[in-house]
Amino acid sequence: MKRNSILIFSLVVILAFAFSLSSYAQDDPIKIGAVNPLGDITGDQSTKAMELAVKEINDNGGLLGRPVELIVVDSEFKPEKGAAAIDKLATVDEVDFFVGGMSSGVHQAQIPSLKKYKKITIWAGAASYLAEEAIGPDADWYFHLHPWDYQQGESYGIGWSDIAEAREEVEIGKVFLAYEEGGFGTASFESYEVLADQADEGEGPYADILSDFEGGSFKSAALGGGEYRALLRRAKEFDPDLFIWAGYAADAIPLLAQSREVGFEPPLYVGAPPGWPADFEANPLSDKVVLYGMWAPALKEVSEVAEHFWDGYIKMHQERPATYFAPLGYTNIMYLAKAIENAGTLEKEALIESLENTEYDSPLGTTLKIAPSNVIKHQGFTRQKILQYQDGQQHVIWPFEVSTAELEYPFSW
Amino acid sequence: MSFSLNKSYKVLLLLVIFIVIIGFWNPNALLDGLQRGSLYSLIALPLALVLGILGVLNLAHGEFLTVGLYFIFMLNNRFNLDPLVAIIPTVIFLLILGAIIYWLTIKRVVKEGHLSQLLLTFGISLILIETINIFWTSMARNTYTSYSYASMEVGGFRFGTYELLYILIAVLVLVGLQLFLKKTRLGQATFAVGQNPKGAKIVGINVNYVYLFVFSVAVAILGIVAGAMLPRTAIFPEVGSPFTLKSFALAAMAGMGNLNGILFAGVTLGIGEAVINSIPNYGGWSDIVFFGVLIIVIISRSYRGAR
Repeated sequence: MKRNSILIFSLVVILAFAFSLSSYAQDDPIKIGAVNPLGDITGDQSTKAMELAVKEINDNGGLLGRPVELIVVDSEFKPEKGAAAIDKLATVDEVDFFVGGMSSGVHQAQIPSLKKYKKITIWAGAASYLAEEAIGPDADWYFHLHPWDYQQGESYGIGWSDIAEAREEVEIGKVFLAYEEGGFGTASFESYEVLADQADEGEGPYADILSDFEGGSFKSAALGGGEYRALLRRAKEFDPDLFIWAGYAADAIPLLAQSREVGFEPPLYVGAPPGWPADFEANPLSDKVVLYGMWAPALKEVSEVAEHFWDGYIKMHQERPATYFAPLGYTNIMYLAKAIENAGTLEKEALIESLENTEYDSPLGTTLKIAPSNVIKHQGFTRQKILQYQDGQQHVIWPFEVSTAELEYPFSW
Repeated sequence: MSFSLNKSYKVLLLLVIFIVIIGFWNPNALLDGLQRGSLYSLIALPLALVLGILGVLNLAHGEFLTVGLYFIFMLNNRFNLDPLVAIIPTVIFLLILGAIIYWLTIKRVVKEGHLSQLLLTFGISLILIETINIFWTSMARNTYTSYSYASMEVGGFRFGTYELLYILIAVLVLVGLQLFLKKTRLGQATFAVGQNPKGAKIVGINVNYVYLFVFSVAVAILGIVAGAMLPRTAIFPEVGSPFTLKSFALAAMAGMGNLNGILFAGVTLGIGEAVINSIPNYGGWSDIVFFGVLIIVIISRSYRGAR
């Protein structure tokens, strides 16, 4: 009798313990570890957008009955800090997933750590093909959302071809690229050189439109430069149909000012920096400047998801999203959340399959679908958009299906 | 310390010949270089003053310029004050800031070795950068003033007019400093402290007060530079940092404490930089040429000294 009592008591204790464990697991949050450069507007707004997404998910009851927790670590745009952040999130915070973005250099340093833990990773930034090669073709747990650099170059070619076809007066024959002399600008120049060589042989996205290409480097104002007049005079002599500059936000205003000063007025003036100065659109010099990006605030006029994101972000953070990394950060979380819901489990294989099959109508105005790219299995977006500053506002010019305004042409002071 | 213009006549003659040759060969490079070089000189003058009188190499020099730029940006943004008008409150603000920083920190290391001075001013520069980062983030910002993008065309030669202001301000600041040092009692006391601080103290000059004054005025001059620069540049936390090294290069090239030489050195290096920039695909060489010329000048000077 006594023996039976002990046995029953033990059973009750074990069951109670197991029940408490299972209920603890039910309430235990799903942890998402994010690594972003918080001192920069791209990382700051991307993180804020992720927080908005997590709030919306939790307000709707969480995922699989569990709350979602976002743990953010600042990479400070430093490779060593970015790599250490992955280790910290994996070992100290024990996150279930990695998300984040910005800077190919930082991401390349993170890749060995990501490969060590092999947790499902949805990465919103890093465009360099070098990062793609570092990930390699076997990482089935890795999903990359931002278009790779070669995909961006291709999409601009397709975009300009479409625009030239739709607008007879628009010519893209001669292209001049002014690029900052560091890694970012030089990589841009090299990728344009490849595209120009392809066009010479009648191949690639610029085959039907590009006749002549030239480039010249400058020292970015961000690195102590800021003198562009000699280069701009050279560009003026070349007389391009399309002038592109690949530098940093600090170069935007001085370049435009000095272009005006030397009387350089190309029909298409395109800026391709990773970010623009604050309130650039309020500067009269910005009018008719074309830019490349994934999103414009005006998309809220043509997309319900973009409008929902815009309103929610402003309500939560009392500021406007000013960079496409904000809607991209939101997409980063929402896409993962939708795939978890579709899978109904956090089991890795099932979730990878769900991520492969999930389509997400994003606030970027484009539906996110996963497909293989040159190296990796899971690439998300493949196209950039062509945008233009018009009367103090950014508009989408191309793709035409989500355009919010027509191209204002030609550029003039 | 040497502030004599007479000793510089040979340098002046060489500079004029150099300018004439470049002017015939590439007038655009000449004007770009004159404008850019004047800006370099203008920024280097206060650094040379502190180096000459206090013997302190201020590694936070560029960051004081950054603080001035952000202060003017704030005045422009909040109160719609034109950057050139905002120079007045900014000079006052930087004068006070310079005095506080001198009193709290620099004063403690004036008599210490150069290593302590370098470490201290490096620390100040980091604190200033991070403080700006906290308040304004790393995002580039800019103002818009229509006059700063104006240009003129004379006989088919088109050039921007705004940066001519740099030449004017550089000359005015230099002349102002020379007059102050030679014509006022405080200036003569400053000159004496620069020559021999112990001797100056013996004859009753308050050396600490002179140091405080010189450091504050040097920081305040950067307010004038900031007001002139802001209409033409984007600002971000590290915007002033590259100018510290260039300013030191000019001070070294001119000879420690030679204020006139700063202007000559700035114009020479500015034109040299513009000439390199105007050669297609060799723009990246401008820094190498900038510091290469500096090394040649220093070596040739030491060679002459050895003879």
